[in-house]
This record gives sequence, structure tokens and C-alpha cells, in this order.
Amino acid sequence: MGIYDFTVKTSKGAEKNLGDYKGKVLLIVNTASKCGFTPQFEGLQKLYDAYKDRGLEILGFPCNQFAEQEPGTGEEAQSFCKLNYGVKFQIFEKGDVRGETAQPLFKYLTAQKKFEGFDPNHPIAAKLEAALKANFPEYLEGDGIKWNFTKFLVDREGNVVKRFEPTTDPADIAKDIEALL
Amino acid sequence: MVKVYSITTCPWCEKTKKYLASKGVEFEVRNIEENDEYAEECEKISGDTAVPVTTIDGKNFVLGFDKAKLDALIAG
Repeated sequence: MGIYDFTVKTSKGAEKNLGDYKGKVLLIVNTASKCGFTPQFEGLQKLYDAYKDRGLEILGFPCNQFAEQEPGTGEEAQSFCKLNYGVKFQIFEKGDVRGETAQPLFKYLTAQKKFEGFDPNHPIAAKLEAALKANFPEYLEGDGIKWNFTKFLVDREGNVVKRFEPTTDPADIAKDIEALL
Repeated sequence: MVKVYSITTCPWCEKTKKYLASKGVEFEVRNIEENDEYAEECEKISGDTAVPVTTIDGKNFVLGFDKAKLDALIAG
């Protein structure tokens, strides 16, 4: 079983076989709501703008298993939503990404690349870890997805080469993407 | 006529519509997810595709659900 064996559904309900992305570098991300405070969407769109012509595709999978926001930003109220989440890359159907009910793709990704901890230097790391301990302590155990905006980088041959936690900003993934293009 | 540019499954759009209705304001809903012309209009007005955008004249607008700003807009 490899990454190209999975079939998923786009946000418009069309079936999409990941085999269609053979030969591309992929960044697969579990995203948050189109109505929260979600600056990582902007960062991802910037990566997409910069590298799509060289073969990067970003695949966004919305999930509401986590509060509808990025970690640690709950106090920053925002009262609007964005058409197409404000991004141009492919968004898929909303679904679960952790636990028993997780989509097979995310079970596969998290089995390929384990959780290796948050980047303690990132400004949200301490808040995120505290919020998880307080509200979802079981999320901290094992290799499952911890929060919105966990990113998996896949090379042109379909190997899952790296996992980035929510504590890595999209801009900091650029050098890893370039290395694969 | 007040126009509210919206998308489906947008709680802030719903709040804005309910608030306007509660004030007895008549308005037209323009869904920018279903209508590309409305999407273009909305982007021209606010420079973005964030919604709700509430406007009367297509120049002054309120982005998001903000009661105070909506009051000011309605009062003209």
C-alpha cells in the first residue's frame, strides 16, 4: 500500500485518486475551518504560488476534530469566513484525521512518519501543549495528528519523507520542498 | 438596497442576516460561492473574498459581523 493507492473526495464531492499526483511533490495538510483565525492558510498559499510551476501540489483536508482554529489563537476573534478558504490549491472533503474514525490516508501518513515533538521555539508551542494537556490529554499520546495544520511532505516517487507539526510555519518548509523539486 | 455578500455554511453571514432582519432592514443575499459575478463584485468592493460583506452603495462596506459598524452603515 502506497500513497498513490488512496482515493479521496474533493470538497465538491468528486473522487480523486492520489495516483493522479504521481511525479509531483506533495504537501498534505489537515486544515481548519474557513471561518477561524488561520494565518497558516496564507503561508501555504504562498508556498503554492512559489512552487506550483516546479511541481508542487498542496492537498488540504479540512477536519473539525480540533477546535475550529489554529492552536493558541483562541482569543483573537475574527468574524468572517473565506470563499474557498482563501486558497487556490485543492481542498478535499471534510473528514476525521485521528483516532478510529480517521481517514485511511491519515492512518497511513501517521504510520509512515511518527510524532517527534513540537518545536519548543515556536511561539505557539507552549500554548498548544498546555491546551492539549488540559483539554485533550489523550491527543498527546502516540503518533496521531495533534492539531490543525500538521503537514506531510511526499517526494516525486510517493515516499513520505517528512512530517511537520503545527509548530512549523509553512515558510520554514520551503527549503525542504526545494530539495525535492 | 442593502446587499449581503455571503457563502454557504458561514455562521458570521447568518448572524449578519439575522441582525439586519431584527432591525427591520431589507436586504438582498448574494452568494459568492454559487455566483461568479457576485464573487467578482465582492472582491472589487473589499479587495478580498472574505464574507460577509455588507454594503449599500458598493463603496462603503462592513466586513464580518460587527454590530456597531453595521448600525453606522444602515444609519448612513
